[in-house]
Amino acid sequence: MRQQYGRRIQVLAGALALFAFAIVVQMTRIQNSPEADIFRQQSEAYAYEYRTFYPNRGEIYDRKGRLLAGEKIVYEIGVDLTIMTDAHAIAFAVSDTLGMDYDGLLDVMQNPPEGLSYIILADYIDSPQAQYLQELKKALNEQSPEGSVGGLTGLQFKAHPQRSYPENALGSNILGFVSREGTGYFGVEEKYDSLLAGNPVTVLIPTDPNKAFEIPNAPDGTTLILTIDRDLQAAAEDILDTALGEYGAQDGLIAIMNPRTGEMYAMAVSRRMDLNSFWNYGAVYSNATEFNPVISKSYEPGSVMKILTMAAALDSGTVTPETTYLDTGSILIGGVTVQNWDRNPWGLQNMTGCLQHSLNVCMVNLSTQMGAGAFYDYMDAFGVGHLTGVDLAWEAPGRLKVPGDADWYPVDLGTNAFGQGVAVTPIQMMSAVSAVANNGRMVIPHVLYAMVRDGRQHEVPDQFGATPISEQTAATLNEMLAVSLEQESSLALIPGYRVAGKTGTAQIPINGFYDGAQTNTSFIGWGPVDDPQFMIYVWLERPSASPWSSETAAPVFAQMAQRTVILLDIPPDSIRQQLVLK
Amino acid sequence: MSPYQIKMNIPNHLPNNVNHLIQAYRVAPWRVQRQWIGNALLLVLVLAMVAALYLHVTSRTAIAGREIQDLTEAIASSRQVSSDLQTQLAGLTSAVSMETRARAMGYRPVEPEELEYLAVPGYVAQDAVDLSSSAQPQLSVLTIPPEYNQSLLDWVDDRIVSARRFQ
Repeated sequence: MRQQYGRRIQVLAGALALFAFAIVVQMTRIQNSPEADIFRQQSEAYAYEYRTFYPNRGEIYDRKGRLLAGEKIVYEIGVDLTIMTDAHAIAFAVSDTLGMDYDGLLDVMQNPPEGLSYIILADYIDSPQAQYLQELKKALNEQSPEGSVGGLTGLQFKAHPQRSYPENALGSNILGFVSREGTGYFGVEEKYDSLLAGNPVTVLIPTDPNKAFEIPNAPDGTTLILTIDRDLQAAAEDILDTALGEYGAQDGLIAIMNPRTGEMYAMAVSRRMDLNSFWNYGAVYSNATEFNPVISKSYEPGSVMKILTMAAALDSGTVTPETTYLDTGSILIGGVTVQNWDRNPWGLQNMTGCLQHSLNVCMVNLSTQMGAGAFYDYMDAFGVGHLTGVDLAWEAPGRLKVPGDADWYPVDLGTNAFGQGVAVTPIQMMSAVSAVANNGRMVIPHVLYAMVRDGRQHEVPDQFGATPISEQTAATLNEMLAVSLEQESSLALIPGYRVAGKTGTAQIPINGFYDGAQTNTSFIGWGPVDDPQFMIYVWLERPSASPWSSETAAPVFAQMAQRTVILLDIPPDSIRQQLVLK
Repeated sequence: MSPYQIKMNIPNHLPNNVNHLIQAYRVAPWRVQRQWIGNALLLVLVLAMVAALYLHVTSRTAIAGREIQDLTEAIASSRQVSSDLQTQLAGLTSAVSMETRARAMGYRPVEPEELEYLAVPGYVAQDAVDLSSSAQPQLSVLTIPPEYNQSLLDWVDDRIVSARRFQ
C-alpha cells in the first residue's frame, strides 16, 4: 500500500516536473521566436517617452534693477470628460466667471471630438478668475451629500507662465512683446529672443517607475539688464505727451543717449501700447515702422544735418570757424535756386553765424566747395544711409542718394547739406552727431547693459563706430554749437548747464513735392559741453502751433534736459567743476 | 546517512526488536521524502526572502524616484510662483503707481533750483544695478544619489575601483 502511494507520488511529481519543464521550454521558445522581436519592439516603444522641458523666459530689468518684463501665472481651464458629472454646472460656472458662451461650452462638452477625454475650455486665464472657480469647485464638493461629488467635478486647472509687463505701456517701443506661442516681436524681445527664451531640453524618460530619473534642469533664459532708466523713460513720455498737446503735433519722439558710451537712457514715442494686451497691436499701429520710430522711421531731418555738413567742412579744411561768408539769401545749384529758411539775405557771416541763423545758402556753399566726392565720403563715414547697429529689431537704414544713383541730381549736393532730400532715422542722427560730442568718435547706440546667467552678471562693453572727424574738429564744432545757442538766446538753453545743439525744421515731401504748410521740427542737443553726459533728440511731427523747431522742439529739449540732469544726478556746471578741481 | 553509521549509533544494551524498530524508523522512505521536502521548502523560503527583499528595494527606489520628480516639479512650481509674485510687486511699484501714490501723499517733482548738491568724499555713485549677487545659481548637475540609479554590480565595481585608488 505504502509502495503504491510512493509510486503514485513519483508519477505525479514526474508529471509536474515534466509540465514545469514544458513551461520553461515554451518560455525559451517564445523568447527566441521571430515574434519575440516584435513584442520587444512594442514594449520598447512604450518603455520611454520624449518630453520637452521649456525654460522660463529671462526677465528684463532697467539699469536700476526695476522689472520691465517678467512672468506671471495664468491658467488653462479644461474638463476631464471621464470623471465629469454635470456638464450644465460646469458650463454655467465657466461662462458666468469668464464671460464665455454657455451654449458653446455645453455643446463642446456634450459632443466632444471623438477620442478626446480632455477638452480645453479656456486658456491664459488670470489667477483671480481661476482661483474663484477652484474655490467654487471645492465648496460644491464639500456641500455635496455623502458618497457623491460636486457639480464641478472634472473641471481642471493647469498653471503655466505667461509674459507680463508690470509697467504696461511704458517703454513698449523698446521692449516689444511676446506672443502666446512664446515668440518675441519687436524691440528687445525680438532682438534677443533666443537669448531670453533659453534652450528647451528634450529628453528620453523611462516610463518604468523602477528606473528613477531626474527631470533635467532646463536653464532659464538669460536675464537682461537694459541701459534704459525707467524714471527717465517715464519723464520723457510725460514731457512728450504734454508737448504733443501743447504744440498740436501729430506724432513725436524724444530719445536720450549717453554720447560717450552709446547707452540709450530713454526712447519715448507718442504711439505706445499696453504690452499686456499685445493683440491690440493692429489697432495702435498701421505698419511696423510706427512701433519704434526712433529706429525705424526715416525722415528728412532738416537743419540738424547742418552739424554734419559743418563738421565735414571744418575737418576737411574747407573752412575754419572764422571763415566769413557773404550771405545773399539765395544760391543756384543744379539749375535750382535754394533760399534761406526766411528767404532773406543775412549779409556777412562767419561759420558760427551760419549755424546760429541756420543758413541754408551757407551750407550749400560749403558742400559745393567740398565737392560731391568729399561731401558724400563724410556723410558715408557718419553712417548716413547705414544701419547704426542698435540692438533693437526693425532698424531702418535711411537713404542717402549719392552721385551715380539713378535718382541723384546735382541739386541734391546742395539740399542734402541742410538735411533735405536725404532720409535718416533719429538714432542715425544721434550716432552721427555723437562724433561731435565724443572727441570725433561715433558711438554705437545700444540698450543692453548686461546679461545675467547662472547667477553671474556679464556686462556688455560699449562699442564704437567710425571716427569721421578729428578730435580737434569735434572740440571746435562743440564750442561753435554751444556759442550759437547762447548768442541766439535759444529756448533750448537750461540754467546752470552749458549745452550745445541745433534745431532742424524740415519740409515734408508728399508725392514728389514739399508740403507748403506743414513741417517736421527737430532738435538735437547735448551737455554739459565740457563733459557731455546726455544727448537728447526731439522730433515733433507736423506741429500746428508753430512750424519752427526753435519754437517747438527747442523748448521741449530744454524741459527734457532739466529732468535729465536731475534724474541722472548731474550737478550744475559750476558745482561739477569745483568738484573736479578738488 | 550510511547504514554503518546508523548501526554504530544504536546502543548495544537495547533489546533486538527495539533496535529493529529504530532501524526501520531511520530508513523509512517517508522520512527521507520529508527531508527532501524540507530542503525544497527551505530553498523556496530563501528564494521568497530574496524576492521580497528585491521587491522592497525596487519599490523604495521607485517611490524615491517619483518623490524626486515631484520635488523637481515643486521647485519649478515655486519658481513660477516666485516670478509671479515678483511681477506683482513690480506692478505695485511701477512708475505710474509710485507717482500716483507719491502725489496722493503730497509729494511733487523737485525743481532744479531746489536741489542742493553735496560733495561726499570717497562716494562713488553706482552707475547701474548688479544682479549677480541676488540671482541664485542654477543646478546644472544630476543630484540623484548613486544609490538610486546604481546596480549592485555597479556598486561592487565602484567599491573595487575606490579601494584600488586608495591603496
